This record gives sequence, C-alpha cells and structure tokens, in this order.
Amino acid sequence: MSIYLERIERHDGILRSYITVLADRALAQAKAAEIEIGKGNYRGVLHGIPYGVKDQLYTRGIRTTLGSRILQDFVPEQDATVIERLEAAGAILLGKHNLHEFGKGGTIDFPFGQPRNPWDISRTPASSSTGSGIAPAAGLCSGALGNDTGGSIRWPAAANGIVGLRPTFGRVSRHGGLMFGWNADTIGPMGRRVFDCAALLQAIAGHDPGDALSARVPVPDYLSALDGDLRGVRIGLIREMTWVDGMHPAVKAAMEESVRVLRSLGATVEEMSLSLAKYAVPLQMLTTDADVASVFLRKWLRTDWDRFDKGTRSRLATACLVPAPIYNRAMRARVLVRQEMLDAFKTFDALITATHLQPAPSIAKSRETVGSDTDMLERVLRRRISTWPFSGANVPAIALPNGFTDDPLPMPVSLQIASSPFSEAVVLKIAHAYEQATGWHERHPDLALTTRAQASTAA
Amino acid sequence: MKIDVADVRAMTKAIDLAIPEDELLPVAIRLSALLEIMHTIERELGDRMDAVDPVPPVFAEPARQP
Repeated sequence: MSIYLERIERHDGILRSYITVLADRALAQAKAAEIEIGKGNYRGVLHGIPYGVKDQLYTRGIRTTLGSRILQDFVPEQDATVIERLEAAGAILLGKHNLHEFGKGGTIDFPFGQPRNPWDISRTPASSSTGSGIAPAAGLCSGALGNDTGGSIRWPAAANGIVGLRPTFGRVSRHGGLMFGWNADTIGPMGRRVFDCAALLQAIAGHDPGDALSARVPVPDYLSALDGDLRGVRIGLIREMTWVDGMHPAVKAAMEESVRVLRSLGATVEEMSLSLAKYAVPLQMLTTDADVASVFLRKWLRTDWDRFDKGTRSRLATACLVPAPIYNRAMRARVLVRQEMLDAFKTFDALITATHLQPAPSIAKSRETVGSDTDMLERVLRRRISTWPFSGANVPAIALPNGFTDDPLPMPVSLQIASSPFSEAVVLKIAHAYEQATGWHERHPDLALTTRAQASTAA
Repeated sequence: MKIDVADVRAMTKAIDLAIPEDELLPVAIRLSALLEIMHTIERELGDRMDAVDPVPPVFAEPARQP
C-alpha cells in the first residue's frame, strides 16, 4: 500500500488519474488486513488488494464528483453495491478515479486536472473511465472498476495497455452508480492482467435486489475458466469493425498476428460480416444518449449550463432534441442490429476486432469539438465504430493489449473479444490464453522516462 | 435533413432549455448528422423495423451456456 501511495505522490501530479486518494483510510485497512490474514482469516485473492473506482460510483462519506464542477462537493450516504462486495472480499479502496464528466466522453476541460496517458503524456488516456485506465497501467493501484456505455472501459484499457471487461448489462449491479443509460451502462473490471479482471468480476457479479434490472443468472467460476485450452473454440473476425480504411498499420499488424496466435492455440478463426454494425454508433446516440439527456435536462442542464464542460453539454443538448418518433425508430433498428450479432453467436463462440483502429491520439486531437461535418464524422462517430456495436447488442466484450506502435514512445494497441450474453467466462478464457501466449501484459510504461522527460512540454 | 441554428433555437425553446448563441451550431451539426444517418437506416431497414418491437437489450437468461 505504501508503495502505491508513494508512486501516486510521485507521478499522479502529472498523470491525474485520481480525484480523491484515501491514503490514511487505505493504510489503516491494509494494516487490518495484514492482521486478519495473519490470524488465518484469508478471504481470497482480493484480500488486502488496493483498487480504485471511477468517481461515478457512490462511496459512503467520500465525495463522488462524477468529474464535474456541479457535483464537486457531493458526498453520498451509501456505498455502491459493487463497493460493498469488494469490501466483503477484503479489497481496499485506494481512491476515486478521474473521468470524463458524467461518464459521457468528450470532456474538453477537466475540473480535476487533465488526465494523461502514462506511455506518452501528450496523448489521451481515452474515455470515459480515464483514471481507471491510467492507474493500473502506471502501477498506481492493482485494479479498478470502470463503467462502460459504448466503450468507456474498453477504450481506456486499449489506450493504456491494460485489460478491461465490459460485462453483459445486468451481470453487475448498477446500484449506487450515477448512471442514466438505463439499459446500456455497465460496471466492469480493469487491470493489468486477465486474471485481475476475472477476480474482480467474481466478487462484484450477481443479482442485487437494489438493481431491478440485475440478472438472476448464476455466476460461474470465472477463475476456473482460465485454463488456456482453446481447442474447438470458434472465433469470427468482424470484417467491418476491423479492416477499415485508415486503420493504423500497427493495429493491422497486431490483428494479423493475433489471429495467428489464436489459431496456434487451437481456435479456428475466420472472417465474417456484420453488415449492420456500422449503424450501432448513431443508433445508440439517438437512444441511449437521449435516455441520459432526458434526466440531465431537468437535473442540471436548465439550471447549471455554464458549469458543465462544453463538450459534455453540447452532446447532451443534442440528445435532448431527438424527436420521440425518431427515438422509437432507432430502438427498432437497434433490435435488428443486435439480432444480426446474436445470430452470429450461433456459429461462433466469440467475435474479435481491434478495440480501436488507431492508437491513442494527442490530447488536442481527441477533443470532441464539433465545428464541421468532418469533426462530427471523425471526432464523434468514426472513433467509436469498433466498440459500440457490442454495447448496443449488450454482449460482454474484453479489451487486452496485443502490440505496440513503433513511435519514439511506443503506444499500446489492443484486441477486443466478445461473446454472447452472460458468456463472460468465454471471453475471459480466450483472453487469458492469448495473454499467456504473448506476454504483452508484462510490458509497462517507464514513468521515469515518460513523465519526467516531457513534463515541461506537456500540452 | 439539415438542421440549422434557427431550428435548434426553436427546438430548445420547446423543451425550455436556453443555449448560448455561439453553442447552437455544434448542436445543429451533431443533430443533422444523426438524423441524416437515420434516413439512411430507414431506407435500408424501414420495413423490417416496422415488424419488430422497440425492445431494449435487457436479457434475463443467457443466450448460450458458457
């Protein structure tokens, strides 16, 4: 614990992965865990392990800001269910992670400091579970919880070179999370290794009476699924979400090599088509965004417009204006897009894509300022093409590192694996086997190089 | 269909949301793009969309056994 706190002290002034660090509380809990374990009361693999959470999850008596000036002083009176479950497993909350305002992505001005990518601090650590992607990558915690509506766990995982899992909606309780994407938002684990994510998911998954939409589907033993055996596993590579014009050469090369590795592990991999996947991003923006915006309209947009980040409020305002018949039509279209994907799982155990078609761009380039149709296409729609189809279909999807660029400061690139609803064990199994065969997870950013060398030239 | 600044001004008035003048254009661009894509989707999928219910993706049971 002391080592993590010392590293946070040394590096997080630049990386800005934390909004609130619970140093005294964490140290006291670490001491208590030490004593408890010494007495033979070992609760399991998470006992004594420090973790962080996206500051979108309620923590009793600890401020929960949602990355917004509007809630900078909000202190909940309850813990989120996932926090309670991790406490019961003996894990120790180290702090609340920085994020894009209200988890919406596209924040331009961060009230709690500009988050930076630990591999190259001039680049974005992606959105919206930003700090939850930075901190495990930079060795500032052992694991984290993020929240994913369209890609907000998977893109930060990809950008920071770690593993991030979006579970099936309903697999993990949303109780105690301020999330208004009522059929899309899902909490999930992030960490350096697939095992870390499996262990976190094991602790937090399962029905919760506090979340009416949490599923009663039994929770399997995720850790036992990590057996490395991919013989007979059938994998489909989605052409429209992978081999796309403008794909970065390093991403392309990494995907080709990933296919080779998966085949060497015994899986069959063949290209397949999801012709409707290209519609997932606009359809979800016309529906889920509208769901979210409908709450914000009353809560704060009307009264606190100026206190929102400019990027956040522009996106929310747009979604407020979606006409009801359009919303209805878009929900119908989503059914068809979803069904095409679910039908694919009758043939394949899993589907793969690149998590993102480009490595993390510069912070300036990542900002979602929309002044033209080109901005809308490139900065808002196109960059979401490879993660949102899985969210729209509500299937579990994991992102894990599968290579690096050859830039002077190499940037991680990432493989995405998805399976049918409640098949988290399948995605974890495939991801773990791939990870163990390649070793990309053992490569970490050299913070002494990336933070000190560029601190004076950071944007 | 193209939504312009005047359209956005009227639409936001209808929902009692005041947006500064210099922030109307980005909203117009965003909304126009999404509505134009929806037109494309309707041309391709419209009949099939009529035949399904607008059910959200909330599953109670797994689609396959892990």
